[in-house]
Amino acid sequence: MNREMQRKANLMLLLFCLPALTVYIIFKLFPAISGFYYSLTNWNGLNPTFDFVGFANYQKMASDSDFWRSLGFTAKYVAAFVVMANVMALILAVAIESRRHLRGALRTIFYMPNMISMVIGGYMWMFIFTKVVYYLADNWHWTFLDHSWTGDPNYSFWSILIVSCWGAVGYLMIIYIAGLQGVPSDLKEASKLDGCNSFQTFWYVVRPLIRPAATICVFWTLNSGFQVFDVIYTLTGGGPGTATQSVAINIYEEAFKGNTRFGYSTAKSMVLFLIVLLVTLVQLSIMQKQEEDL
Amino acid sequence: MRRRTYRHVSVGYVLVDVFLVLALLLWLFPLYMALLNSFKTNGELFTNILAFSEHPTFDNYVRAYQKMQYGRSLLNTVFLTALGVFLIVAFSSVAGWALCRTKTKLSNIILKFFIFSMLIPFSAIMIPLYKIVTAFHFRNSLAGLSLIYAGLGVSMAIFLYHGFVKGIPYEIEEAALVDGCNKFQVFFHVVFPLLKPITATVVITNALWIWNDFLLPLIVLSDRKTYTLLLSTNTLFGQYSNDWTSILSALILSALPVIIFYLFFQKKILAGITSGALKG
Repeated sequence: MNREMQRKANLMLLLFCLPALTVYIIFKLFPAISGFYYSLTNWNGLNPTFDFVGFANYQKMASDSDFWRSLGFTAKYVAAFVVMANVMALILAVAIESRRHLRGALRTIFYMPNMISMVIGGYMWMFIFTKVVYYLADNWHWTFLDHSWTGDPNYSFWSILIVSCWGAVGYLMIIYIAGLQGVPSDLKEASKLDGCNSFQTFWYVVRPLIRPAATICVFWTLNSGFQVFDVIYTLTGGGPGTATQSVAINIYEEAFKGNTRFGYSTAKSMVLFLIVLLVTLVQLSIMQKQEEDL
Repeated sequence: MRRRTYRHVSVGYVLVDVFLVLALLLWLFPLYMALLNSFKTNGELFTNILAFSEHPTFDNYVRAYQKMQYGRSLLNTVFLTALGVFLIVAFSSVAGWALCRTKTKLSNIILKFFIFSMLIPFSAIMIPLYKIVTAFHFRNSLAGLSLIYAGLGVSMAIFLYHGFVKGIPYEIEEAALVDGCNKFQVFFHVVFPLLKPITATVVITNALWIWNDFLLPLIVLSDRKTYTLLLSTNTLFGQYSNDWTSILSALILSALPVIIFYLFFQKKILAGITSGALKG
């Protein structure tokens, strides 16, 4: 009887989940699994037939200097992005929350870039970096701006970072503000009475309590940082040459531009997947442990 | 003593104000520059990039509108987003509810299955997905593309719905069952209306995602007739890379629908984003 009821319940469940499961399996799960299989083949996207080549693609990667450069670039970018975006977002969140007036308006404006796609934002900044900046350098003699902000990899790294932060900080700020609003105000007042200054109150009372928000924000920035595509695509296209290619750009170029080595580029994307998985899992376990230790 | 403390605080307060104003200017600078220069002629743009136009012109907007086939691109984007969001809500609300209310091993497995996949980055499935798109003849199909968005979006939405249903007392559904409703009726007439707050969150986060997504349409759509706003803007940039005034107008035109939408619904949007982020 009980088993019969369970069977019926499961059937009902499957019926209700059927549409979601169908699209999910076809468009997410199957590509993920077959991706691993393709990474072991020499599939080139054009030929209908391809051969199983074992781990040859992974071995080839070891000597692919472009791929390694894109990996190094991405790692450097992610490190800088996670720190900069989170610090800026937290400073903005604290500054806005300390205001008596206009908090809503400030939030609205700082969040605005998140509403528009980074493709549009990227092209708007492209105008700043290729036209406005030179105007300022020539007419206002702001010579420190007189660099090739999208052409010279030493500077375009920073342009890419600036635009990414511009596009992400509003979102992180909203999460940090939600965290800050969850801090009971009597705790802050008590610490003030005990003689803490604003900074001490923030560091010893508020900071530990907004750790859950920080966990979410760091997770999100890590995840999106490793997959950075739109901003680089619009600002530098990965160039000059391959100097500012992220892994996602490298995979895209490998698969859809020029040589369509699909098997090889899926192998690369599997590596990216493993890296993201590993890094985010380590981050989550460390930061959640810190939360529990409180 | 008390006065000194007070003065100290207010100096700090003013400094923070100054900081916020500077940050605000920096934040709006690209949008402002794009807007300002979109009304100039190309000649005027290069003589003084920071000044207001002396003879503001709408010509750039007319040119951009035609070149990027704005009307068509906008309609495509609206259609794609609306259908994608509709499918995600329809598929995942009922699944999230059923997963929460069915207490069997299977329901637990299915839920874990969905949650785990949230960690798979898009670039990892991009190429195999392209093969499926070709096999299904989904290339240049907006309806097909919206199904793909459903496939990629349901796991997060199911997770949100599942969490929300937990907070709804089961007695309400039981009462409806006793009154003679079947399970489908219970869901549509009793449960779904109660899910409104989380449905708002799901709609907002997914609409913004699909509307602003670039890479997936870039891979799937190659016929200009099916281009979304972003793809059209991108094409314009490639073809007329020196005609900055019409590019800037195109950027403003593509940003306009979301900005207007945002200014009208900012409270709801920010609330939706926050709850989506905190639960996700």
